[in-house]
Amino acid sequence: MVLDNLGSSLRGSLDKLRGKSRLDEDDVQEIVKEIQRSLLSADVDVSLVMDLSDSIKTRALEEEPPGGTSARDHVLKIVYEELVGLIGESTEIPLESQTIMLAGLQGSGKTTTSAKMAWWFSKKGLRPAVIQTDTFRPGAYDQAKQMCERAEVDFYGDPDCDDPVQIARDGLEATEDADVHIVDTAGRHALEDDLIAEIEEIEGVVQPDLNLLVLDAAIGQGAKEQAQQFDESIGIGGVVITKLDGTAKGGGALTAVNETDSSIAFLGMGETVQDIERFEPNGFISRLLGMGDLKQLSERV
Amino acid sequence: RAAAFATGKVVIEEEDLEDPLWELEMALLQSDVEMQVAEEILETIREKLIGETRKQVQSTGQLVSEALHDALYEVISVGQFDFDQRIAEADKPVTLIFTGINGVGKTTTIAKLARYFEKQGYSTVLANGDTYRAGANEQIREHAEALGKKLIAHEQGGDPAAVIYDGVEYAEAHDIDIVLGDTAGRLHTSNDLMAQLEKIDRVVGPDLTLFVDEAVAGQDAVERARQFNDAAAIDGAILTKADADSNGGAAISIAYVTGKPILFLGVGQGYDHIEKFDPERMVERLLGEDE
Ligand SMILES: Nc1nc2c(ncn2[C@@H]2O[C@H](COP(=O)(O)OP(=O)(O)OP(=O)(O)O)[C@@H](O)[C@H]2O)c(=O)[nH]1
Ligand SMILES: Nc1nc2c(ncn2[C@@H]2O[C@H](COP(=O)(O)OP(=O)(O)OP(=O)(O)O)[C@@H](O)[C@H]2O)c(=O)[nH]1
Ligand SMILES: [Mg+2]
Ligand SMILES: [Mg+2]
Repeated sequence: MVLDNLGSSLRGSLDKLRGKSRLDEDDVQEIVKEIQRSLLSADVDVSLVMDLSDSIKTRALEEEPPGGTSARDHVLKIVYEELVGLIGESTEIPLESQTIMLAGLQGSGKTTTSAKMAWWFSKKGLRPAVIQTDTFRPGAYDQAKQMCERAEVDFYGDPDCDDPVQIARDGLEATEDADVHIVDTAGRHALEDDLIAEIEEIEGVVQPDLNLLVLDAAIGQGAKEQAQQFDESIGIGGVVITKLDGTAKGGGALTAVNETDSSIAFLGMGETVQDIERFEPNGFISRLLGMGDLKQLSERV
Repeated sequence: RAAAFATGKVVIEEEDLEDPLWELEMALLQSDVEMQVAEEILETIREKLIGETRKQVQSTGQLVSEALHDALYEVISVGQFDFDQRIAEADKPVTLIFTGINGVGKTTTIAKLARYFEKQGYSTVLANGDTYRAGANEQIREHAEALGKKLIAHEQGGDPAAVIYDGVEYAEAHDIDIVLGDTAGRLHTSNDLMAQLEKIDRVVGPDLTLFVDEAVAGQDAVERARQFNDAAAIDGAILTKADADSNGGAAISIAYVTGKPILFLGVGQGYDHIEKFDPERMVERLLGEDE
């Protein structure tokens, strides 16, 4: 709707350049404005959008388009390159023994994602186990257990214990035979000091190879502060974007990747354990800008 | 212009507004107000101020800020009604149904409101219309036990409308004042699940349908509020996780597209972490006047 309109107005202002081979300042200004609009309505952080559009503008004006390239394709290529430069490739997930911990805001999709990731690893021929350390949320144990049954993967939790650190320790031991340990944690946000201290403690015991920040695709400008805090506390090595089966564009993940100097690992596309995909930059950038396949174009240029 | 100076007043012209309005637009986006909504609000301000005069002692920026305050207040205070009075006057049992996206806090809000109503002397029964999500029954049961409330629940996979309907019948038979009907989280892009929501609305015929969303939500808040309102007309909204977030622009977006009031703010995970929504305070928060 609104967002599709933005995509099409970006397409519109780019189409105006179709015949042109040189760009003047006004052309660039107009396109940069549309790109700003697209990114802002995709929930990318406001100051990050300004930085990005500045570099796009500078490059569009300064760089000589390769021979035979239209002005339009030249700009699109620059936009694509700038975004790829920021997002990078999918977080590397080696297919070997490892421990991964999930962290993030309340309700962002951590528990669902841990079962999904376990399912994903099991399809790759590894033996995963999920350890549920959330002792706070009512029904958290049952939820994780049921999801793991659906994924047909090992599960550890202890509904009678109220110490997440203890559960983490016991869980790692009890699931020793598994190759991949996925540690789910209770939801928390940046301002909850006691809960932030708690996850630091869990992290100390678990010693994960990778900490993933689980972010709802619809998160707004708050993504920046949350990502900063989680990165400072436990170190974020990758981001998972959930609920991408909705209309939210997931620009908060771009902010988070920028803040944590990490990359995007997985995408959540639904509520069942199979609804998980590895991140792929081209599709994500197309979604952010509300445009089609930019990679292809960029390669052509 | 010179003439205006002589009288100590200056006429505001379009170009005087450009910079302050641009800055405000960025500020609104920074606060998660949806872009189209922000632009429409700023457009009303532009129309209002062009051709107006300002005293020389006032800056255009100041005038714009004041106009913005008023415009935001107008949007965010839309349809406000006295919730407590509405409950008090309604025929009992009163049925409340909670709708919204996955994980925004519907179930927790129901638990908080059960406590809220108890303090006002009302009895409540919880009905779990979430027959879908793993652990949904266990979650709400634990809340019901902690709060000492009766829970009506069916097996997973059951008909959500039937559960809430049973809740209403239970309330009628046992003289319970308020039925709190939960629903499974769903995305507005799922046609099946939105149709199911329409069915629940039709079969149960709730007194109030409350749309729950989170304060941390960004631009998408507009789209989902609109679509939930279309599927099962909402009477008001509740914004959760306000403790996680200092912006709250989602409140503006939701009020703007639905024309329905925000009634409560969720401010934490405990049962008492719920506050009556105060439009004036939210405007101050959005404009950074409360810090
Ligand atoms: N449609 C959709 N729903 C999702 C996705 N991921 C998670 N959910 C739903 O989002 C809600 C919250 O997911 P959870 O996995 O419980 O989130 P959490 O982060 O563990 O929540 P807390 O433990 O309370 O912090 C549930 O209703 C899930 O079914 C997704 O990719 N798409
Ligand atoms: N910080 C904070 N957390 C909240 C608030 N309200 C709910 N939560 C948390 O958000 C998470 C999700 O809450 P639920 O009540 O399960 O959300 P829901 O909308 O019922 O989720 P689904 O049924 O899966 O769609 C839980 O961890 C809650 O404790 C709030 O106001 N502040
Ligand atoms: Mg969880
Ligand atoms: Mg629920």
